[in-house]
Amino acid sequence: MQDYIISMLVENQPGVLARIAGMFTRRDMNITSLTVSPCEKEGKSRMTLTFRGDERGLESTLKQLNRLIEVVKVRNLSFERAVYRDLCLVKVATADASVRQEVIGLAEAAGGKAVGVGVDHLILERVGSPTKIDNFISIFDKFEAEELVRSGVIALSFEDESDERK
Amino acid sequence: MKGKRGAEILVETLKKEGVTTIFGYPGGSVIELYDVLYDEPSINHVLVRHEQGAAHAADGYARASGKIGVCLATSGPGAMNLVTGLVTAAIDSSPVIALTGQVSTDMLGKDAFQEADTFNITMPFVKHNFLVKDVNQLDSTIKGAIQIASTRRKGVVLVDLPSNVLKERAVSSSTQVVRFEGYNPNVKANKFQIKRIAKALLEAERPLILVGGGVIASDASKELVALAELLGAGVVYTLMGKGSIPDTHPLCLGMTGMHGKISANKAITECDLLLAIGTRFSDRVTGWKLDRFAPNAYKIHVDIDSVEINKNLEVDLPMVGDARDVLKGLLIEVKKAIKDRKPKQWKNRIKEMHQVCNGCHEGESEEKIILPEKIIAELNRLLPRDAIVTTEVGQCQMFAAHFLKTYNPRTFLSSGGLGTMGFGFPAAIGAKVAKPDKPVVDIAGDGSFTMVSQELGTSVSNDIPVIVCIFNNGYLGMVRQWQELFYGKRYSHTRIGGPPNFVKLAEAYGARGIEVEKPNQVRDALKNGLESKQTTIIDFHIGGETNILPMIPPGGGIDEMIGVERCRTI
Ligand SMILES: Cc1ncc(C[n+]2csc(CCOP(=O)(O)OP(=O)(O)O)c2C)c(N)n1
Ligand SMILES: [Mg+2]
Repeated sequence: MQDYIISMLVENQPGVLARIAGMFTRRDMNITSLTVSPCEKEGKSRMTLTFRGDERGLESTLKQLNRLIEVVKVRNLSFERAVYRDLCLVKVATADASVRQEVIGLAEAAGGKAVGVGVDHLILERVGSPTKIDNFISIFDKFEAEELVRSGVIALSFEDESDERK
Repeated sequence: MKGKRGAEILVETLKKEGVTTIFGYPGGSVIELYDVLYDEPSINHVLVRHEQGAAHAADGYARASGKIGVCLATSGPGAMNLVTGLVTAAIDSSPVIALTGQVSTDMLGKDAFQEADTFNITMPFVKHNFLVKDVNQLDSTIKGAIQIASTRRKGVVLVDLPSNVLKERAVSSSTQVVRFEGYNPNVKANKFQIKRIAKALLEAERPLILVGGGVIASDASKELVALAELLGAGVVYTLMGKGSIPDTHPLCLGMTGMHGKISANKAITECDLLLAIGTRFSDRVTGWKLDRFAPNAYKIHVDIDSVEINKNLEVDLPMVGDARDVLKGLLIEVKKAIKDRKPKQWKNRIKEMHQVCNGCHEGESEEKIILPEKIIAELNRLLPRDAIVTTEVGQCQMFAAHFLKTYNPRTFLSSGGLGTMGFGFPAAIGAKVAKPDKPVVDIAGDGSFTMVSQELGTSVSNDIPVIVCIFNNGYLGMVRQWQELFYGKRYSHTRIGGPPNFVKLAEAYGARGIEVEKPNQVRDALKNGLESKQTTIIDFHIGGETNILPMIPPGGGIDEMIGVERCRTI
């Protein structure tokens, strides 16, 4: 089993997400992260999706997705030179001023920062590759992480999209 | 289209696209559409008695004609009743358009009267579906739906039509050309791949071609037979491929798989090259031990849908392409290189297997009970070669697949992938509408027919005469057979004998009923039915515990058939 990441150009229309999600449910596969937003092409969205699977699962998933009428392009980014970005927000309980100072210091040293301040907690943010985010989160294990949220990966390849055929 | 009502636009577009028949059933949300159909002379609307029948009839129409079949139902219960028929068509890649009514757009999601989420419910199995929310897009949506359903791997496209969209008037008159960026209706066959396959075919000593429904869908029968003859290759087919080569052709070894002929399954085991075209290697074809499926063969798989490649069976040489294009290309390449190389031994082996298995059960019967294979042997004698035979599901279906001699593509119509009881009769009605000059016969089980017998109303009142041959064993026979063979004869809830009296049922609908209790009445009854211009049910009382054998037991490999005792060894 391995983590795969794929990027898709899809029609920005109701139902597209359900069709794509359906492909995974039917094959008993789990989507680990998913981001969707409109992109540079009018009427289209770009979707980045990660899942765990084996090579055969990947091959058939790519073909199944490609077969959907509203999916314009599918591209496997798992082995491509690309920029990957994920974002996390972590809410950490800070009982007193000294803990607060320690948390802020750690966050900054680990490439993140405090972006929200409450009476007895801080909200930290870190942007980076998924592994950097994993590291960042683990640093705050010893504190009480009250809530954690990640955006899911987005990615852009250095290679040209136009030579992807459908 | 400017100023026209949605319902008018819909009908006009269907007409322009060549649609002449709709199988449907009205209701509140489509009443506007029925108002337009009321005085529309160029569309023949066939009123069914249950929406499932409309879907199967549209499917049968499509399978028999190669054109798209169209069915229509109201929102909610109407649309839901279509579903079984649509899945049946979808899994057998039959080009069907389903038009369903829907509550008006302002009521969507409010659990309005007769609202069902048809769009989402049908999403997992359709090739595509649309929910039309703007009357100005109706024309292009219908065109797009037809394009998608009838190109590449054919399939079901559903168009959900909110009632207000059918009533509203269009403001735009544009009739756009439809193009989906994510869908290319054409598939190109790669020449280099064709050369590679041709080379492998020429090197093989024991080549075998396995054909599926794709060969029929792409009208490639002529090319298939020509290639087999050129190579001296044997041909076996899946249930969906029956008709792609005449059963009497000396190279034809019959249906392969779980209920296949010994000749076909042996050929799979013995061949050294297997060229599979337009088939998806379903478990009913391969058996359950994939390592025992064509273990000695170099395997080539040609299919129009890349999803099928390496899905069920990993092969040595895959190729994506339309069956006809590829077969045409192969013919050219093989012709160029072939010298008189037809492998003699293999040729003789094919001949031997064909002779033994093809002629089986053709002789006169001394049995006291009516054997299903004898009814079919009579049909083989009596039916013209272009007659269309549909089947229900169960033992009756497998008897037909086994013993019926089919000569032409699109003349054997059966629910393969879904195995839907109740397909055969409405599909026969659809086929008869498509081919009114041909006799159409449904080979039915008593259980299956009972699931759709209300369509006798459709058949009689629309004057669409078909013949239903009920193999009446008083059982859900196929399930009973499994219970006999694998569950110690514990016939749990498979006995259905007794009611109804099929002759009286037929007569109640104004059809004809013939009861046949003795073997010597079979021939006359069939003749009688075929000569009449009326819908006829022939109720054959066959033995209650007759089995269709041999078969691959569940879990078994293709070379592990049981029940071979009655067969001559080959
Ligand atoms: C709609 C549906 N329900 C259940 C089944 C499971 N099933 C497969 S064959 C069969 C028995 C069919 O009985 P009948 O039509 O009398 O045919 P026979 O096998 O007796 O020839 C059943 C119940 C099915 N295929 N389709
Ligand atoms: Mg029965």
